Amino acid sequence: MKGFAAICKMELRLFTRDFFSFFFALVFPVLMLLLFGGIYGNIPIYEGADVRMMDVSVPAYSVMVIGVTGLMSLPLTMSGYKERKIYKRFDASPVGKKSVMLAQVLANLIMTLAGIASLLIAGKLLYHIQVKGDFLSICVSMLFSIAAMFSMGFLFTAVGRDLKSATLLCYLFYFIMLFLSGATMPDILFPDTIKRISALLPMSYAVDLMQGVFAGEGLILYGKELLILGAVTALCAFAGAVLYKKKDWT
Amino acid sequence: MSQEIVQVENLNLAYKNLQAVQNVSFSVRTGEIVAVIGQNGSGKTSTVECIEGLRRPDSGMIRVFGKDPWLCRGEVYKEMGVQLQEAEYPMRIRVEELCRLFADFYERPADWNLLLTQMGLDEKRKRPIHKLSGGEKQRLSILLALIGRPKLLILDELTTGLDPEVRRNMWISLENIRKGGVAVIIVSHYMDEVETLANKILYLEKGKQQFFGTKQGFRDYVKSRVTPDEWEENLSLEKLYLMIAPKTAGLTMEGIL
Repeated sequence: MKGFAAICKMELRLFTRDFFSFFFALVFPVLMLLLFGGIYGNIPIYEGADVRMMDVSVPAYSVMVIGVTGLMSLPLTMSGYKERKIYKRFDASPVGKKSVMLAQVLANLIMTLAGIASLLIAGKLLYHIQVKGDFLSICVSMLFSIAAMFSMGFLFTAVGRDLKSATLLCYLFYFIMLFLSGATMPDILFPDTIKRISALLPMSYAVDLMQGVFAGEGLILYGKELLILGAVTALCAFAGAVLYKKKDWT
Repeated sequence: MSQEIVQVENLNLAYKNLQAVQNVSFSVRTGEIVAVIGQNGSGKTSTVECIEGLRRPDSGMIRVFGKDPWLCRGEVYKEMGVQLQEAEYPMRIRVEELCRLFADFYERPADWNLLLTQMGLDEKRKRPIHKLSGGEKQRLSILLALIGRPKLLILDELTTGLDPEVRRNMWISLENIRKGGVAVIIVSHYMDEVETLANKILYLEKGKQQFFGTKQGFRDYVKSRVTPDEWEENLSLEKLYLMIAPKTAGLTMEGIL
């Protein structure tokens, strides 16, 4: 347990030293909030609506944070460790690579929560955003979204033969999902073709779920989103685990 | 009374169509240094990686402290220190952070501050690992292998990349470790190193075990493989090895410049 705690501490420390992960998980979403808040202000999403722009932007940017950690930071760290045989070195110690992988998941989870917390704090302080959803529903929606994105990232590391191909997969899916899921711009602005593509992306369901639950709607209304995110998690985690078993770690 | 720490019997390992290790059997006892020698691709690293529990043998039996290292890796590593042939560490981690991390893996770790001084790395403790030179990384790898006060030490290419002085100091340190009752396996291409350190030699050719025994036994083995005309008394281990090692064909730099 002492060894595992030490690895978790190390992975957290290394996360903060990685400019890309740190900036895009903790700083960039807040900058986006400030930028779009500055341009559009916190106006109602449509005339007479109770929900305002920043109320829906915060959960959408929260999904962006989950995307950064789940589809970029975690899988690229894992692929790098695999390619540079760092996992092998830990396998030649009392802790083993599984502990390191688990610590990496935990570190990214903690940084995801920190990123979301910084968005909420900035939203509350600067735009007085309203979070109407109850704590438990928000936790469940975050859990499903995080599980789906992390599992997809895990699958990419398993599919990618090396760091280069894993990076390509991660960048490709991250940016497609970032711009077409509604995480950066509201999906009501999308033309029909883009909406159809958006419907194929797991991140779109995470955005819908988070926005709905943050606005105070019950989880019961988001059965489809929960089902899809749950299925993505199960499928990607299973496929990733099978592929990982076949990988030569030495 | 010395104890058998490692037992290997009829070890076999194949990679797809390549039989990397064939029927290798040997043992290592406390206070003994066994050197694994052979050409590149002769199965040295594959053999020790099976003992390290990093590769699963296709057949045969391996016991380390009486346990199967593949199945009981976590337990075996509490008393086994390993320096891999090639090892990398996380980017951006500093020398002292890595030492502290590895020390946290063991219940009774060695004083890593002292080890840093002994390895000449004290001034580099704040330096990120990726900024260390090759020799410094090698010394750090050896330090990490020692940090858990192992009873079995496996060093794959112990002194590769080290300058002559550090190399000699490393030999003295290893001899002292052996005297302390630690069982040691070294994989080496340097026959002067093997001659100085090893009590026993395991010689492999294309994955097949050709010899296992004492240095004198190795001398007798070489004598039996060469013609009387080729044989000379008092040859160094390197010369003995060169007499029997398969010749590497086609390796030349003639005509390049």
